[in-house]
Amino acid sequence: MLRVSGLTLGYGHEPILEEVSLEVPTGKFVSLVGPSGSGKTSILRAVNGLIAPLGGGVELNGGSDSLGFLFQDDALLPWRTARENVALGLRIRKYSKESAEEEADTWLQRLGLEGFGKRFPHELSGGQRKRVAIAQILALKPKVLLMDEPFASLDAIVRTRITQELLNWVEREHLSVLLVTHDLEEALTVSDTVYLLSQGPRARVVKSYDVAIPRPRDIFSSRKHPEFNPLLERLWQDMSAAMNLSEVESKA
Amino acid sequence: MNRSVQNVAVRRIIALAALVLIWEVLSRAGIINPFYAPAPSAVLRVVVSLFVERTIFTHLEATFAASLVGLAIGLALGIGLGFAAALMPWVADVLEPIMMLLNAIPRVILAPLFVIWLGIEISSKIALAVVLVAVLIFFAVYNGIKDVNQLLVDRVRTLGGGRLVLLREVYIPSVTAWVLGSLKVAVGFAFTGACVGEFVAATRGLGYLLQFAQSTYNAALTMALIFLIMAFVLILFFCAEAVEHRLLRWRYRGSKAKPA
Repeated sequence: MLRVSGLTLGYGHEPILEEVSLEVPTGKFVSLVGPSGSGKTSILRAVNGLIAPLGGGVELNGGSDSLGFLFQDDALLPWRTARENVALGLRIRKYSKESAEEEADTWLQRLGLEGFGKRFPHELSGGQRKRVAIAQILALKPKVLLMDEPFASLDAIVRTRITQELLNWVEREHLSVLLVTHDLEEALTVSDTVYLLSQGPRARVVKSYDVAIPRPRDIFSSRKHPEFNPLLERLWQDMSAAMNLSEVESKA
Repeated sequence: MNRSVQNVAVRRIIALAALVLIWEVLSRAGIINPFYAPAPSAVLRVVVSLFVERTIFTHLEATFAASLVGLAIGLALGIGLGFAAALMPWVADVLEPIMMLLNAIPRVILAPLFVIWLGIEISSKIALAVVLVAVLIFFAVYNGIKDVNQLLVDRVRTLGGGRLVLLREVYIPSVTAWVLGSLKVAVGFAFTGACVGEFVAATRGLGYLLQFAQSTYNAALTMALIFLIMAFVLILFFCAEAVEHRLLRWRYRGSKAKPA
């Protein structure tokens, strides 16, 4: 379980977000949505210890080794092959070179990249690189996944396919996930709970929504669930209000 | 090699051959004074005689030794100082203005000073090559570390990597790419340092021989030596390129991307 309590983040003394509290229960999928500049990515970076908070804190069962962080960019080392990239985290955790690479091959195979292990990142397509990045994280067997719009740069077909595969994996392994996304439909499709942040600076959590669509989920059938559209409409209206758009639109 | 590259190469060879042929004809016809610009065939005869009479080898040995030793020391010094400056701010505070100054001036003006300090033997030539190469490599390493992709640093940190892992997995490979990118220029600089040092004061070396040819108004020998220096620098340049392609194969290996 991951609990963020009263988190305040900022650069210098100016907070970009203030007093943010949220919870990712074990085995649950939680999304963070909100306007650009509301500090969504900064929350993930603070959870992972990449930035220090001005206030509040993060509570995590299992310590930092139980975290896996999937970046928006692939962030693969360009001078390492796909296999070496996947093995990197394992090597850092003191696996021998042979066992780390053997494990890496297994994960590449699970993600449909058998035979691609010796290729460098620039020799792979965007979708393949993303799969390598996923393999790199899953090979470490995290309990909590932090995902920062990981599939935003992919085309619609590859994005849908990879999202569904990852969703299946998360449900099967009962992983806890905190996803940052701009895409409200994606948030509702995959999540158990969606938190909405207000416009920054000094962004806050303005509302949370429980998504009662049963699991296991399929990306397409979830969108046909009777709960989906009313929830999407509410989320859209609240998001517009958070961005002060409804005010602007009513004046127009 | 694809067809368009072949066509460019053929066009270049034809243009060069035509230029040499015109030069030869004009020289033989007396339109160009051979005292100032001897015919290509005369220059070629001098090149051949330098090798046949084996007079060139002692000079080649001196220049190559000064260049390669200067290159090696310059690389080591530039890498060491670049890392120190990038990782320790107080070192950067001291070194950056000195390196900026050395980078701004034509560093070959230091050649007479090195002769005064180190004598006319090989040491002064090595010193000049070292200064030329070290400043170039210092900035390659310093900027390489400063501009390292922060995403990769974050990636390794989130995987649990500490300072040593970051150094091994991110900083050193990133800097290696910068240094190897500058290696071809560094080879040229090292050869320049050796030749200019020999030109100022020496007892042997291609620069010394060039100075001798110029002082005796021997245009054929001057041209032969210029041609030889160009040829040797090109050979070293291609060797440096081969090393770069070998060590940076992750960058140069052909794309085999397939859809996901």
